[in-house]
This record gives sequence, structure tokens and C-alpha cells, in this order.
Amino acid sequence: MHPSASVGLEPLRQPPGTVQGTGGVAVSLLGLGRDLARTRVLDDLDLHIPAGQFLALLGPSGCGKTTLLRLIAGLDGPDRGAINLDGDGRAKAYVFQDACLLPWRRVLDNVALPLELSGVPKAKRHAIARQLIATVGLGEAVDRFPDELSGGMKMRVSLARALITQPRLLLLDEPFAALDEFTRQYLDDHLQALFLEHGMTVVFVTHSIAEAVFLADRVIMLTPRTGGIVLDHWVDLPRPRDRGTRVSAAYLAHIQRLAEALTSGVVAA
Amino acid sequence: MIGSVLAAWLPPLLSFAGLTLALEIGLWLSDIPSYLMPRPSEVFIALHVHGADLTRGILRTTLAASAGLSASAILGVVAAIALSSNDWMRRAFYPYAVFFQTVPIIAIAPLLVIWFGYGLKTIIAVSFIVSVFPIVANTLSGLLSTDPALRDLFRLHQAGTLTTLVKLRIPAALPQFLTGLRIASGLAVIGAIVGEFVADDYKDGGGIGTVVMVSIKEFKIDKVFAAVLMASLLGLVFFALVNLIGRFTMRRWHIAETRE
Amino acid sequence: MSILHQILGLLCLSPLLLTGCSSEDASPLALHKTALQLNWVPEPEFGGYYAASELGAFMAEGLAVEIRPGGAQSPVEQMVAAGQVEFGITSADSLLMARDRGADLVAIYAAYQTFPEGIMVHASRGLESMAEVFQGGTLGVIPGSPFLKLLERDYGLDKMKVVPHDNNIAPFLQDPKMAQQCFISSEPIVARHAGVDPQVFMLKDIGFNPYTGLIITRRQTLEQHPARVSALVRAVRQGWRAYLADPDPANRVMHALNPTMAAATFAEAAIIQKPLIQGQLDDATLGTMTLERWRTLAEQLEDLGLIERAEPEGAFVNP
Repeated sequence: MHPSASVGLEPLRQPPGTVQGTGGVAVSLLGLGRDLARTRVLDDLDLHIPAGQFLALLGPSGCGKTTLLRLIAGLDGPDRGAINLDGDGRAKAYVFQDACLLPWRRVLDNVALPLELSGVPKAKRHAIARQLIATVGLGEAVDRFPDELSGGMKMRVSLARALITQPRLLLLDEPFAALDEFTRQYLDDHLQALFLEHGMTVVFVTHSIAEAVFLADRVIMLTPRTGGIVLDHWVDLPRPRDRGTRVSAAYLAHIQRLAEALTSGVVAA
Repeated sequence: MIGSVLAAWLPPLLSFAGLTLALEIGLWLSDIPSYLMPRPSEVFIALHVHGADLTRGILRTTLAASAGLSASAILGVVAAIALSSNDWMRRAFYPYAVFFQTVPIIAIAPLLVIWFGYGLKTIIAVSFIVSVFPIVANTLSGLLSTDPALRDLFRLHQAGTLTTLVKLRIPAALPQFLTGLRIASGLAVIGAIVGEFVADDYKDGGGIGTVVMVSIKEFKIDKVFAAVLMASLLGLVFFALVNLIGRFTMRRWHIAETRE
Repeated sequence: MSILHQILGLLCLSPLLLTGCSSEDASPLALHKTALQLNWVPEPEFGGYYAASELGAFMAEGLAVEIRPGGAQSPVEQMVAAGQVEFGITSADSLLMARDRGADLVAIYAAYQTFPEGIMVHASRGLESMAEVFQGGTLGVIPGSPFLKLLERDYGLDKMKVVPHDNNIAPFLQDPKMAQQCFISSEPIVARHAGVDPQVFMLKDIGFNPYTGLIITRRQTLEQHPARVSALVRAVRQGWRAYLADPDPANRVMHALNPTMAAATFAEAAIIQKPLIQGQLDDATLGTMTLERWRTLAEQLEDLGLIERAEPEGAFVNP
């Protein structure tokens, strides 16, 4: 663990080329199929995610992004095909759309929950949790209840909880969708910093093209019509990406490309 | 702090005082005799004159109702946990829980006397039967409506069924359990009183229910009202205690309690 | 539910005082409509009233009497005092207590000359006197019954468990050491039919002998309509004479109203209660009362702390 200095609401900077930390697992999906409510949500889907890649899943509602994410997480089982995780499949973390904190526990015990469920003794897990909470800039909120936190703060707690097990596969389901633009951008920056620090494989579901382009190495679009992948797009913007990136021509070009793909018949719902 | 206490207590106290005054004046002006409807002042005097009987009675009833409510709380939660554990269990056994709610207690109370005999045991049994269902129903509802995302979270981290029950589902069901307990508290008092009508060992005066019956037979109507007042107060005290428990356990994190 | 009913009844009674009941003296042409509120369901203890009705005795006296059946703990005194009903049935001890609290009610007829209640035990115990009953076991008595205080004073109840008596003899049947309050022409018959041989120690034998099956009315009614009251008493007397001679016609009527009791039981009860109703009286004085009996009862209740001032003279008349 390389805890960074306590941060406030400032943009985070990481020196280029310093991808250290836990590394990621590679994920392979072969012929994956899943039916829900008599619909073939996913069908004959093949996908390989190399270790340490930041992948964004993009698409309209109902196209199966959340289903796919849950299958990768092991929260759901496929009807056809297989999912293979190369490496320690247990080092997974999932961040939900709603921060999903236990309202009767303080921030400290919420963040420490995954370690608690693994049987880590209290003193140790509290110490680790405190460090992480400091990393996400909520040091002074350690003893507060979720009820007393803002939406953005709750999401940061959720992120801290996701990271406490040093996951090598981080799955996020539209985690910042319910937040305001300012907080959202801040958390995007934050997530990128964590990604650059730890190098885990990230699968990030979003319906925001801008967010996908800003965060990901690769953007995949799903469509409800075929239950499969219709677009596999590399985002070759240099890291670390910052405010400057958000106004660069290359960035806007990627967004436009994806927007066209979305509105054209290729991914029409 | 003083302000909020006053704000909470002043309105009901004022309305009570107002109603009592209106009743006193109304009855005094009318010709209604005390043996039909005693004036509030007469009832308060009866509270004093018969204080020993009433206190002894209400303490007995409090004992029975407390035991009945505790039994309902414990067994009700256990039943709710069992019923929530799988669908088949629930479909097979929930109707029996409903039975506790719908069975006419007046009809089966004599049966209880035959099975358990006279005395405190049977009175507690009646109190329990009458008050257990709201706890089962509400706690069960709470246990079944745990946030699916939280359940996913626990599953993701390989938490076992017992761990999930203890660390997630039970704490999450606490607000619902307290709702059930609130309803059950009043019922436990009523149940204890009904139990007394049928099974009280009343050589030394018995519970408040028996005091009511005896006072009716002896035509001491002011004592009847005094006893009924004490029984109502007991119900109120139970209710307030449950609210206090709710405030204490959930104050920091549950919106319904923070609003109180 | 009866207790709650009674309390609710008390609460609802007050508005009724505003309405009261207005009635006029019976004229030769119009029958005076009135009602008699019973304190239990139709059973032989009320045989005389149904017999009077069947005979047409009420009508002959210018009265159209509606006999209203009661139930467990009907608040008869309150109903009469509130003017809800003109006549009601109760017992002397209840009446004295009601009068002590300010209700000016008067007894005008006593159907039972001898108090028909007693303590019923299992005959198999071989007990020889009332005193032996209280050596141990459970005693079932309606809470607040005046004689309970008397038993406590004269025999001591520390060895007993005292429990509420309901209209249900199942606990008695189940427990050989159980003693319970009973009405001589009622529970013992049921017990015998259920296979348990009962033995009854009558309360009159230990000195508690209030009149019961009393017809009461308000003093107001007595003073304002004395002829009406006398007429009722004459008709009732006739009815009881007829019932004592032949209970069958009235029993049939009552059985139709109260089918839960078997016709044979009606006949049996009528036989058992006959001497308690006839007493030492003849046809002309059936139902009359003596001051001495009332005085004795008043003193007893005063002694037991149930009433404060006894005023037995005002409690009854023999119209």
C-alpha cells in the first residue's frame, strides 16, 4: 500500500509512468450468454480484458452492462459460456450505483467491513481503514454515520471500502451517476489516481460518453438488439489525464466518434 | 433543550387539562349521578383513597404485561428469523402466526386455563398471544426487505448465511422490529388484563383488571374509572419506553427517530 | 368482552338520562308499555314472568310487558336508575350497594325467598361442612361477590387459590380439588350430566341469605305510578303461582329463546328451585319481603365494609 498524502478537493497528480501496487487480473469471457425475463440480454459474447486495463462499458439502458458486470463479479451465473479470471479471483471489489453503506455503522466500520468479513482482527482492520479513509480525504469524518455525509462523501467511503482488500479487479456500476458534475469530475480524477497507483483491472459501467473517454483505456459498447458487443474502441489519450485533457481536441474527437456510433444504426436500441 | 421538552409535553398536557375541566363542569352542571358517570375530581379522589389497591393491582398487571411483551419480543424475532430463512418455511408456517392475531382471545382464554391453570403463567400466556403477531409480521417484513445491493456486497465478500443474518439482515430490520414492538406494547397490556378476567389468582387483590371487575360489582364506579385510567397509563408508559429504546438505538442513523 | 361492554355501557348511559322515558298511566283502553330487564338468559329462575306473559296476566292488569333477556353482568341497576328500563331483576346485596352509592332504587317483589347460591365441590372429596371446603385447593368466585368477603372473614382463605368464576364448569370438572360458586338449580345439574357428582354447601346455611330474583324500580316510579307497580306485582305473583304449579308451558317458551339449555334441564331446574321460591309463603303473599331479612343483610354488608350506611327500611316495599 502506498497511501498518498491527505487530500482535499484538489486535482490529484501522479508522476507519469509510476504504475505500481497490486496489479490486476486478466478477465476472459467466452461465448457468454445470459437470459433474464425471457430476453437474451447477453448472447455469444467474447471479450478479453488484459490485466491492468481500464475498461468502460457503455450503452443505453437495458443493453446488459450491469448484467455483464454482475457476471464478472460472480454475483450472477451465466446461462451459456464461461468466465475466466487469471489470477486471484477473490480479490474483487464492487462499487454500486448507490454508495450502499450500512447506515447503523460509522464510516470506520463501513470501510473496514470487507476485512471484517474475512476475519481480520479489529485493531488491524481499523488501522488499515483509517489509512484508506485518509487517502480519500475523509479523515475527519471517520466517526460519522452515513446519514451525516453528503452524496459525494458517501461515494468516497464506498470507494475506500472497495479498495481495502487491495482488489486486483475493481468493478464499478455507474458509481457517480447520482452526483453533481463538479463532484463527479473530482471523483473521476480520484479514481484515475487510484488506478494509476495500484494498477488493478477496472471495469467501469457508465452511460456518460465523456466520462468513459476520460477514464478508460478502452470503451466497449453493448446493444440490446444482439446481446453482444458492437463497438470496441481504444482511447489512446496519454495519462495522467486532467483538466487540460477535458478540453483537448483529441478528447473531443473520441467523444464525437462514440456519439456518432451511439446515434447511428449500429447501436440503435 | 428545555424548549424542545416543553414543545413536546405542553400541547398534550394542555389538551388533557382542558378536556378534564370541560368534563368536570359539564357533569357538575348536569344531573348525572356519580354512580353512572363520576366527575374527574371524584376519579382523582378515588385514585387517592384507593391508592393501595390500585397500586398493588397495576404492579401485578405490569409484571404480567412486561413478561408477555418480552416473550413476544424474543419469540417473535426468533419466529421471524425462522420464517425469513426460506420460502417454504414461510408459506408453511406464516398462517400459524396470523392465527395468533385472529383467534378470539376471549374464546380460547378458558382453554388456556385448562392447559396452564390459574395464575400468572396463564395471564402472561394471554398477554403473549395477543401481542406477538405484530412483532412477527413487522420483523419479518424488515428481514425480507434488506437492500439487495447490500446483500450482494456481503455475498461478494463471501459472507456466510449466519454472518449475513447477524451483521446485515438483523440490524437492517431493527426499525421494523421497533414498529412491531410499539404496536405490541399496548396489546400486551390489554392481553394481561383480559388474562386477569379469566385466570387471576386474586386473593390479595389481583391485577388491575380484577380491580375493575370487583369495583363494578361493588358499585364503586369512581374506582372503576380510576382503575381504567391507571391501565391506560400503563399502556402509555410501555409505548413511551419503546419509543425511548428506538430513540436510543437508532438516533444516529435512522431518519424516523432523528425527527422525533 | 362483558366487562368492556359494561364500561362502555356506563359511558353511553349519560346521554340517555337526557331522554329519559316518558310514559302515561295505563288507561282502560291503552296498555302501558313497559319492560322488565332480566340479569341472565331465560332460565327457570325467571319462569314466573314468562308464565305471567303466557297467561295474559300482564295484559289483564293493563300492562304490555317486554321481557328482555340479559347476559353475564348486565348492569341492571344502572339501566333502571338511568331510566332506560322501568323494571329490572337483581339481588338484594347488589341493591343495597347501589343504594349506598346514591341510586334510589326500590325492591317490589322477591322471587327467591331463599338464596339459591352455594359452593359446589366434588362429592368424591367426602366433605362434611362448608368449613372443610377451605382447607385447600382452588375457589372459583365471581370477583367482587359480597359473600367472598364473608367467607374470608369467617373461614380464612389463605390456604386457597381464589380465581375468577366464569360460566364454564370445565375447570371444575378437570380439578377434583376445585370448589366454585354455583346457582343450585344450574351448575350442579350440568356437572352431574357431565359425570361429576357435585355436593353443594348452601350459603344460606352459613347465614348469608339475601333475597334474590328481586324486581326493582326507581322510587320515582313507585311514587308517581303506584297503581302500575301494584298491577305489575299482582300479575307477577299470578305468573309465579302458575309456574310453580306447572312449569312446562313457560319452560317451552324459554327453551325456544335459550336453546343451549336442554328441555330436560329446564324441568329439572324448575323442580329444584321450587322450595326456594315458595318458602313459607302462601299464594297470596308469594314474593313479599320482611324488614328483618333486609336488616340482617344490611348489617352483614356494613360489617364487611361493603356499604357505609345501611337504610334497609327504604330498600323495599310490598305493594
